[in-house]
Formats: sequence, C-alpha cells, structure tokens
Amino acid sequence: MKRVFHIAVREFVVTVGNRAFIVGLLVMPALIAAFATLMPRLFTARDYKVEGQIRIIDPTGLVTPQLRTTMDARQIAARRVEQAQRAMANAPPAVRDLAGNRGDQAIQTALGPIPDLRLEERPANADVQQEKAWLSEEGPGLTHMALVAIHPNAVVPSGDLEYGTYDLFVPSNLDDRADSEIQQSLREALINARGEAQSLNRAKINAIIQVPRVRSVTVTRGDERQTVRGFNIILPVSVAALLFIGVMTGSQALLTSTVEEKSNRVIEVLLSAVSPMELMAGKLIGQMAVSLLVLALYIAMGLTLLTSLSLFGLFNPWLILYVLIFFVIMYLVFGSLMMAIGAAVNEMREAQGLMMPLMLIMMVPWILWFPISRNPNSLSSVALSFLPPVNTFAMLLRMASNAPPPWWQVWLSIAIGVGSVFVAIWFAAKVFRIGLLMYGKPPNFATLIRWARSA
Amino acid sequence: MNDAIVLKGVTKTFGRTTAVEDLNLVVPGNALYGFIGPNGAGKTTSIRMIMSILFPDKGELSVLGFQSAMDAKDRIGYLPEERGLYRKMRVGAFLTYMAKLKGVSDPALEKRIENSLDSVGLAGTSRKRCEELSKGMMQKVQFVAATIHKPDLLILDEPFSGLDPVSARLLRDLVLNEHRRGAAILFSTHVMPHAEELCDSVVMIHQGRKVLDERIAKIRRQYDPRRIQFDPLNPEADLSSLRSLPEVERLDRAEGGYEILLVEGTDPASAMGRIVQAVTPARLEVSRPKLEDIFINLVSGSLEGSESLAALREGLTNNAAKAAAV
Repeated sequence: MKRVFHIAVREFVVTVGNRAFIVGLLVMPALIAAFATLMPRLFTARDYKVEGQIRIIDPTGLVTPQLRTTMDARQIAARRVEQAQRAMANAPPAVRDLAGNRGDQAIQTALGPIPDLRLEERPANADVQQEKAWLSEEGPGLTHMALVAIHPNAVVPSGDLEYGTYDLFVPSNLDDRADSEIQQSLREALINARGEAQSLNRAKINAIIQVPRVRSVTVTRGDERQTVRGFNIILPVSVAALLFIGVMTGSQALLTSTVEEKSNRVIEVLLSAVSPMELMAGKLIGQMAVSLLVLALYIAMGLTLLTSLSLFGLFNPWLILYVLIFFVIMYLVFGSLMMAIGAAVNEMREAQGLMMPLMLIMMVPWILWFPISRNPNSLSSVALSFLPPVNTFAMLLRMASNAPPPWWQVWLSIAIGVGSVFVAIWFAAKVFRIGLLMYGKPPNFATLIRWARSA
Repeated sequence: MNDAIVLKGVTKTFGRTTAVEDLNLVVPGNALYGFIGPNGAGKTTSIRMIMSILFPDKGELSVLGFQSAMDAKDRIGYLPEERGLYRKMRVGAFLTYMAKLKGVSDPALEKRIENSLDSVGLAGTSRKRCEELSKGMMQKVQFVAATIHKPDLLILDEPFSGLDPVSARLLRDLVLNEHRRGAAILFSTHVMPHAEELCDSVVMIHQGRKVLDERIAKIRRQYDPRRIQFDPLNPEADLSSLRSLPEVERLDRAEGGYEILLVEGTDPASAMGRIVQAVTPARLEVSRPKLEDIFINLVSGSLEGSESLAALREGLTNNAAKAAAV
C-alpha cells in the first residue's frame, strides 16, 4: 500500500507541478471570462448603422405618412427603450441589481446606433417590375435598401377583416438587421394606419392588448423565488461538462504518462520495485487526485457565481456529491482503459486509433444532453442511464433536470457503474501487465482482447 | 546460507516460441553467478520470471526463500537490460523515489544518495535533470537506483552494454563491492569474457535450454586441459623433437608462438617436463579454455555443420572482440 501511495504522490506532484498543467487549469476560466467580457465588446453592433433609402408604392395613401413617423429616429429610440425594459424585467433580480441603471443602456448599445432610413414615395400606380431595377442601381448618395409595395387592402379590409399586407423587395447584400428594422417600422405603420381608418386610438389599442408576461415563482421547501429561465438547461450541461473535464483531464494524463514511461524504458525499472497492479493503482489514484483538484476548483468557481447571482437556492448541494460519485466511476473506467492503451502502444501516435472508440463514447452525452434534459424520464433517457459507460453522464443529466429520477434509479445506476469499473479494471490490468513489456508492432483491439483472455 | 534463487523445471512460451524450457538453476546466497548465452537465448525472459515481471507457464521458482519475488522486492536490486529514467526528473528525486518504492525509510536518505552518487563518480549531480546526463552517467544512476536499498540479491541484465572502458571497469568494481558487502549477484551477458572475468560460477543457456551450470574453476579443469601455449626461446629452434614426443598429438602455429595439443589422457604436468627437455621454451603454460569455446563445443552437437553454428561462432567472436576492447 505504501508503494501505491508513493506512486500516487509522484503522479500528482509531477502533473500539478507541470507548467503546462497550471496554464491549462487557468486557461478555461480565463477563456470563459474573456468570452463573457470581451466578446460582447468585440462583436457589438455599434459599428454597424442601418442607413439607406426605401421606396414605397402605397395605393392606400395611408401607410406612407405613418411609416415616416415610425421610421423617425426618436420613434425607433423609444421602441428600443421599451424593448430594453422588457428584457430587463425578465432577467434575474441579481442581474437587474448588478446592471442597475446601466441595463437599458447596455442593451441599446448592443443593438447599435439608431438607423437612418429615408423614405421616397412612388406614384400609387407605379410599375413594381420597373421599380425593382432601382434596387440594383449603384451611384452616389444613400444605399438603395428596399422597395415596399403596399397591398390595396392593407389598411381597409376587402372582406370580413381580410387585411392585406405588403411586398418587400431588397437587394442581395442587405443585412438582416436592416431588413428587421424595416419590417418592424412597417408593422407599426400598418397598425397605426388601420387604427386610424377605424377611428381607433392606438394608445387604447396598446392598453387593451397589453398583458405583461409575469415571472413565475419557483417554490421550494421553505423558500420561494422568482423562476430563472434557462437555469434548468444550463445546470445539466454544466454538470456534464464538469464530469467531462474531470475524466478527460485524468485519463489523458494517464495515457500520456504511461506511454512516456514505456517509451523511456523506465517501466521495467519500476516493475522491479512494484507489481503491475500497484503501478496501475498508484497512477490511477494520483491522477484522480489531480482531476479532483480541477473539479474542486471549477465547482468552487461555479458556486461562487451562483452565490453572487443569488441563485444558490435553486441548486441542490447534494448534486455535488453525486457529481463526485459519478466522476470516480467514470474516471476509473476511462482512466484504466486509457492506461491499458498507453501500455499497449510504443508512442502516442499509435494510441490514436485505439483511443477513437473511447473518444466517441465520451461524445455520446454531448449529442444526447438536450433530449435527455428536456425529457429526463423518457424510455431512452432511462435506458441510457443504466447503460455503462455513458450511464454516469445520462443519470447526472437526469438528476440535474427539472424532473429528477427516483433515488432507486440513481443508486441502481451507481451500482451498474461500480460493476463496470470492476470489468474495466480487470480488462485493463491484464492488458497493462502484458503490454508494458511488449514492443514492436502496435496491437489492434482483437490483440488486446486476446491478451486479456490469455493473461 | 540459503539459496538466493531456485528454479525448478521452469518453462515459458510466447505463442509458438519456447523462450525458456525446463530450466533448473540454484544460485547460492553468496554467489557471483554469470548467466551467459548468445542474444535470444532466453536470459532476459528467465530474469524477468525471477523478478516476477513475467510468470512461468510451468515449473516452480523461489527467490530469497519466497515463492515470488513480489514478496521480496525490497531485498532485490535489479538493473534491467532496457534501462530507463524519467528524463525530466532530477537525479536526486528519481533516486529518492526509487528508494521509497524499495521501502527505504532512512531519515538520512538524502545523504545516502549523495554518498552513492559520489561512489560512482557522479558527485554533485543530484540537482541535475536526468536528460542532462550522458548515457554512461545514466547507467551509473541506474546502478545506484538498483543498489540504494542495499539488496541481498542483485540481478544485472547485460550491465556492461554500451559502456566505455573506464565506466565498464568502474561498474565491475562496484559489482564486486556489492558482492563483498554480501549480496548474491546474478548477471547476464552475451559477452562471455565478462562472465569469465567476474563470476565464480556460470550457467550457460542456449535456445532456452541450460547447457552448462558450473563453477568457473571446475569448468577450466574439466574442459580441454590438453592445450599448452608454447614459445621456443630460440625462434629458429628445430621443433621436430617436440612433434615426435608420444604425449604430443599436434603442434599448431598460434598467435605469438605455438599451441600444443596433448594426447587424450596425458598428464599435463609430466608432459610439460618432457617438452622443456625437448626444446627450451621462452613461455610454457596450460591454455585456459575460453567460455565461448566451451559454449561452442557444448552446443555444436546440435548444430554441427549447420549455418547456425557458423553464425553463432561469428557472433560470439565479435562479442569477445568487443569485450577485449573494453
């Protein structure tokens, strides 16, 4: 046992003391922080201004004046303020507190500068086909952005409330944001024109149709708080990502260090002092400690974020315990198999082919996370949560969803996981023992299975 | 004293290849034993079985009284043929790690490591990374790693391969020191003069089978005491009287003189007296049989006239030439 401890300590110290590890550990949070802070700034719409000329053929004669109003810069600004206020009202209280008065401003900044749209009215009987040619014309002055042809019944219905609409023609290079601004202005203009035609007050119509979307209240034992939309989606993904990061960190390091020890020929020196099982156990434990350190760091960061956003109450702390249990199961399965692959090959290049099935298995949860977290109790979700080695991922996704599975299913999945650990370690130990001293042609899967059966 | 290693009918096969077949061996507790044979004879496989790195398909073995070396690893030092170090690790850290794996819990371990490095001429290298060392220095570090825990049994697999003459001499002295300290030593080599020079006993193995297991002195007595090296004092002397002696079967030119082959059953001592009377010698000595000659002699029965024998002879001669250079 002492030897296992010494091997584990060395694995831990060498990995954690490695500059690449420290950099790698900090890179992920740094990337997340960079995305959160830099990306909105880098990709803000402030550099893009919708600016150009719009031609309109309006046989009703009622839409154009309304459109001039709705395309007015002040009107657009007012609409945007309203949008921003709606968005902030839907945000978590902590985000609203954090944003303060700057929230509206930030959203408006993200939307970019107020568009500058000029309207040119064409005769009501103008030929649409001829007018389309204008869109392709290039010359000095404003960009030719759109041709709008209002339907004759767009304002006054032709039958029983059968309102027409409009046709919109745009050049090939029109930005979708400009398209959106034009359509929004046209919508407002048409509603106003229809209202006036019916002698209705727009303000009254607005008041009548206004039913603000309320924020639901999530009730938990002894506590209740406003529902945070998206949390039920983000949480399963975050939990699965934690598991993935932990398992990948450890198993990849195990593969690399085993290949290195074999190619350095230090393996036989080690085997003179310890048994293959002791070596394997020591390495597994050492790298597991490294992965747990990484997980602890990320979990601490996540909890700090939840606490700072006052969302901690939405999170079941027991989930951390289950993350750790499922991590240990999955790590032992993948880590021991990766180590077996490392022992079987002569260099990293040769390991790629043997690693491929394991990597594909690791990708399965990412393909299935959305259907599992949306339908955590569907037949396929339940079946996957009992199918090793993806059962760990699937069960955690279900547990983090808004309809967690019953406890017996969780512990059955854990029991199946423990069983898969024994099978994986049994197989890996046999391959490891034979592969360590095998050099030359790298084996294929059939050879690995033959080794396991013959050892 | 108990036997350090006992092998009884040990056999190991890899697929259709039999690497070791029915090997019996007893290495006494105080022995300096050579394990010799050409490349591919089964030496490394046998050693790996002794070390419990591989396991025999048939037969029994015991190491330092235990059924498996696993139970006695802390008392065994092993220098494998495929030598390796953690390249990025510092020498001192590597030796500390190996010592701990070997169960050394000496509070003065650091001092012990420094002394050991000093004894192999590597004083002041403990802070260096292993990759900074030359190949010879690495081999010395590996020898220190194999002996840092003062083992009762030291197994060295081809310890002299790749060493320059000075390092080889130093390593030979270190091996002898370990033997004097009381460790039983088993070392394998395909360079037979090394075994001849160092060992008190050798076991010869060929194609996985033992062909000889004897003390060196007895081998010399037993194998071919009929050859006598002879240089006449007068190079122009007439040697016909020598040829006509009833004890002399043949007289051949040899390097720097002649080699006399005595008639079988002749007492070398009385024959030498008669030779001196016939022609005054500048040099007269009983030729010491070389292990490779004995080895060739032993295996030639199964290989006589075949290309394998020629290849084996050539291989052994090349190895002997390399050893002589060392």
